[in-house]
Amino acid sequence: MSSKPQALGSTGPMRAFAANSKKVSTELIEINESLLEFNKFVTEYYKQLAETWNDAQKKVNLKAPEVPQDVEQIDAFKRIWIDIFDNDFTELFDSKKFGANYGKLVSKELELTKHWNNITNVILQSVNLPSKEEIDEVYKELHSLKKRVVKLEIEAKKKKDVKKNEK
Amino acid sequence: MKSETAIDPKIMEEIIKFNKNVMDAPSHVAAPDEIVLEVTPHDVVQKMDKTRLLHYKPLTDKQHKTPLIISYALINRYHILDLQPEKSWVRNLVEQGFDVYMLDWGSPTAMDKYLDFDDYVNGYLDSSVEYIKNEASVEKVSLQGYCTGATLATAYTTLHPESVKNYIATAPVIDGWRDTTVISNLAKNMDVDKMVETIGNMPPEFMYYCFSVLKPFEQGIEKYVKFFKNIDNKKFVDNFLRVEKWLSDTPPIPGELFKQWIKDIYQDNLLIQNKMYVNNSHIDLKKIDMPIFTQVAVGDHLVSPECSMPLHYAVGSQDKTLRMYPTGHVGMIASSLSQKKVLPELGQWLLERS
Repeated sequence: MSSKPQALGSTGPMRAFAANSKKVSTELIEINESLLEFNKFVTEYYKQLAETWNDAQKKVNLKAPEVPQDVEQIDAFKRIWIDIFDNDFTELFDSKKFGANYGKLVSKELELTKHWNNITNVILQSVNLPSKEEIDEVYKELHSLKKRVVKLEIEAKKKKDVKKNEK
Repeated sequence: MKSETAIDPKIMEEIIKFNKNVMDAPSHVAAPDEIVLEVTPHDVVQKMDKTRLLHYKPLTDKQHKTPLIISYALINRYHILDLQPEKSWVRNLVEQGFDVYMLDWGSPTAMDKYLDFDDYVNGYLDSSVEYIKNEASVEKVSLQGYCTGATLATAYTTLHPESVKNYIATAPVIDGWRDTTVISNLAKNMDVDKMVETIGNMPPEFMYYCFSVLKPFEQGIEKYVKFFKNIDNKKFVDNFLRVEKWLSDTPPIPGELFKQWIKDIYQDNLLIQNKMYVNNSHIDLKKIDMPIFTQVAVGDHLVSPECSMPLHYAVGSQDKTLRMYPTGHVGMIASSLSQKKVLPELGQWLLERS
């Protein structure tokens, strides 16, 4: 009821445009909030990588204090470098702190994608195209129909086999 | 006068040679689309949605009675089992007289996001086994599952034990809580509901990220240094490119299937606890009572031995064999060790039961 006087001010499809603009604006505001969180986790991600790199490099420096001067020593140095870096980084990737932060980072990335999907849906609907949810419903229905067809085919085959055996 | 900081001429020589190899590389390297990954002749005998059932042509006069179907992993494609003649898992088994089938899961698209464990286990795998049983006029087949394909094959074997004569689990993903790999750490912390809800299928890019955190310096630097150093070695280059092409071809994993796999295996660890269900059917590992051969690689950094071995102890079979090989995840199926050790042992085991 209360929206009726307001509706007088909008004409025809422009009303939908106004509603869509509001939805897009809301999504953009939420994207900013998600982006702040995402930045927090991405900063932690790079911090963990940088710290591990520095620690690994310190270990390499301790193991190989002199700059190699021949081919064999260069190869040996490279081997030490790769082994230490691989060990330290594997230890990091195996750690709870990395797993937890990476999980949150991906989760925030997915939230950003979700906002983007929502904006795309508003645009799709404004040009009379099906939204992602609507297409998903079609996929779900197709999947369920396929399962039913397979089930019916199996039952039909069983009945056919029974009849064949009776003859 | 010789400077004390002078660089050893041999080092300069190495650097120049390496640079030359990098410059020469384009003339030695085939374009990815010129590399054919399937080497053993086969027919596509059945298609169901995007999956294909391949049947390898016999290479011996006589074949053993029980056919073998391979359920390959969900990550990357089946080509690694038939990448090149001298390291082909499939070819070796065919040459040993086995009638080999391979289930190619294909490349799911956005519309396949609702495919789940039930579709893969009771749909595609069961349909393929039924086809082979009819075609070969046998009551049972031998089933091999590799990696995540072994998770599916394990579920299948518990639900359809009447169709499986022998079960071979190669690096099976079974006990997610015991898995000590980086992959399991990422999987345990993943908000898989949000991922599937937002993007549908598990995108290949995520798998590429997972690959990148596995020995990043060995795989990201040393591997390519070795490649350029061996650029004149035709066999090395060919092998390298085949593996690279295989590595860069990871299909998406259907969302619902991925969700159940991550939750039931890595997060809640239901399979090994006999608490997993596929379409309301209980997956009870004790129902695996046929001969079982579990193959584990000691250096597996994708599926750790601790993750695979519990299957051997959880099944109901009396006739069970566990073998551990001093190699890695891929080395167990596509290396000279697999040809010299893993496959002859598997062939002998199967022969005694086929």
